Amino acid sequence: MNPAVLAGGAVGALLLGASVFGVRSEVSQAKERLEKGLTLEEKPKVATADDAEVGYCTPKFKEVLARVLHACGLVGENRRGCAPQDIQRLANISDDEFNQLFTPLKERGGVIMFDDGSEKLDEDAQKLIEKLWVERKGARYFFIVARASKTGTRQFNQALSHKRANSVKFHVDEKFKEKELDKMVGTMWLGYDYAQLGEEYCKWNISRGGKPCDAQAINRTAFVSWVDCRL
Amino acid sequence: MLGLYFAATSTADYVKHLDRQVHDVHCSFVPGAPVEEAENACRAALYSPYSAVFREQIWGGIPISLFAVGAFSFFIAFSLYLLMAGDQAPRRAHRFLGMAGLTPLAVSILMAVISATKLGAFCKTCTGIYVASGLLALGGVAGWVIDSRIPAGMPRQAPPPPGSPPGTPNTVVMDDGRPPRPLGTTTQMAVWLLALGLFALIPAGVYYQSVPSFAKQVTGCGKIVSAEDPKKSFLHINTGGREPVHMVVDPLCPTCKAFHQRLVSDGLLKKLDITLVLFPLDSECNWNLTTPLHPGACAVAKAVLCEEQRALQVLEWAYEEQDNLIAAAKGRDGNKAVLAAIGRRWQGLDACINDNKTTLRLDDHIRFATTNKLPVSTPQLFLGDTRLCDEDIDIGLPYALSKLAPSLVK
Repeated sequence: MNPAVLAGGAVGALLLGASVFGVRSEVSQAKERLEKGLTLEEKPKVATADDAEVGYCTPKFKEVLARVLHACGLVGENRRGCAPQDIQRLANISDDEFNQLFTPLKERGGVIMFDDGSEKLDEDAQKLIEKLWVERKGARYFFIVARASKTGTRQFNQALSHKRANSVKFHVDEKFKEKELDKMVGTMWLGYDYAQLGEEYCKWNISRGGKPCDAQAINRTAFVSWVDCRL
Repeated sequence: MLGLYFAATSTADYVKHLDRQVHDVHCSFVPGAPVEEAENACRAALYSPYSAVFREQIWGGIPISLFAVGAFSFFIAFSLYLLMAGDQAPRRAHRFLGMAGLTPLAVSILMAVISATKLGAFCKTCTGIYVASGLLALGGVAGWVIDSRIPAGMPRQAPPPPGSPPGTPNTVVMDDGRPPRPLGTTTQMAVWLLALGLFALIPAGVYYQSVPSFAKQVTGCGKIVSAEDPKKSFLHINTGGREPVHMVVDPLCPTCKAFHQRLVSDGLLKKLDITLVLFPLDSECNWNLTTPLHPGACAVAKAVLCEEQRALQVLEWAYEEQDNLIAAAKGRDGNKAVLAAIGRRWQGLDACINDNKTTLRLDDHIRFATTNKLPVSTPQLFLGDTRLCDEDIDIGLPYALSKLAPSLVK
């Protein structure tokens, strides 16, 4: 036979055979990886979307908040909000320890100030609440911790701080019409019984910046903040 | 040989994906150059509907580069034969190579037109095949022309060589004393053509026979836990289609762009009734990231929300301008430059983009991923409530759709 035909035929057969072998081999390897779940190239694992969780979510902080959430109505159906005696019992920590838990929220939250004996929100208070509310991002819970100064009786101040907490919550409700508000907002009212704030809190993000602030004024307030913890 | 190299490289890249994993892809004019991890034109070409046939019947289909592997193998063998045969090769062999050698070029021209008009980019490996096809056509035609210019000459009787046994008949030689060149028969041409066909089809046939079954693999990757949207935050895009889907995208994600282009080029987008969920991979608004993967994506996502009636147009604009928008976001002016680019194309959105309500609305979109514990990645497609696996979103898309949403591929 013509050597050219032989050579051409041989090379053709060789290339065709190599192609077939290559295809079978590659497919077989892919099949094995597919069946055994083997990976050819390590790829970084993809995270799963979740609520925000930041550094201040210490176990203690989460423990206290979780107790409050369960007891104060965000999880479950019955109660809505926590009175001072509840907080003290549930948190089971001192006043200072309670306040320190919220220290990391200095930048995230704000202090809504009220007039003496009043639960009415002024314009600046409303603006600050709205600003804080829209900065929710990945947070799941919004906490309102209302207080009262030491003017008047314990009962009066407990009721007043309760009204202040509600004022904030009602404003959010009215402004944003959030359907699941009760599942998102945790209210605590402390009266003057528990965890009073010191003057140093006047340096926080207060709604009446530039106006006089003292130990009395800083407790006629509601501290509000989203909490970026998975509870 | 160049054509065989590029076709084989492209085929190997394709076959690797049969394990339903995402792999790096070769994309260089230089043979032997390393694979590229980033999104590139070769990946876009690989994932495009033009890269394979029978994509609805078998997962990924049969890569067309596999036909090229067989065809180039044939042409290498045939060229070697012509080279070695020299003057002894039938004239019709040159004619055959001249004509058959044009077929890869014809296919290359067609694919190049598709690359330019449909994909908007030229894959380097594909270009290598185009160039090889051009060279083959050029060589084949040149060989044919040169051969046809050699005069056939007049055959004449010549006495047998000295020393031949008595009675040896005269031989037939040409004017220059060489034996006459055979013309070849049409049967020979038919055989060569058949061989070319077999070379092109046999590797594809072997591939078809050996490819694994994916019927049990393609069942979806999870379900939507809650698709509730009480505040009507999500965007509803009805392109006229009836298949309800949730599509989770990032306007500045290159994979989303490629996926969108696939849906359009496959004619699938118009069959979908889309609930669009924006999930910008930008830490500016997305708490699931600590650093922005696609800076500027939050601003663009807000623009999509603000142009609700033309959300699809804004999204497609963002895909088109993706490189420029990302470059602007990474530049000195950052988000301001992105907002300026949005403002130049979509006037009057500033107030809406800066509105708190838009921020809250975008939060609702991102929270869809949180509620449903979705991977922090885009794109994601939910057919009804079934999530299409990431592995099926590229070359396996038509096959996966034929299993999970048969009405889409009818």
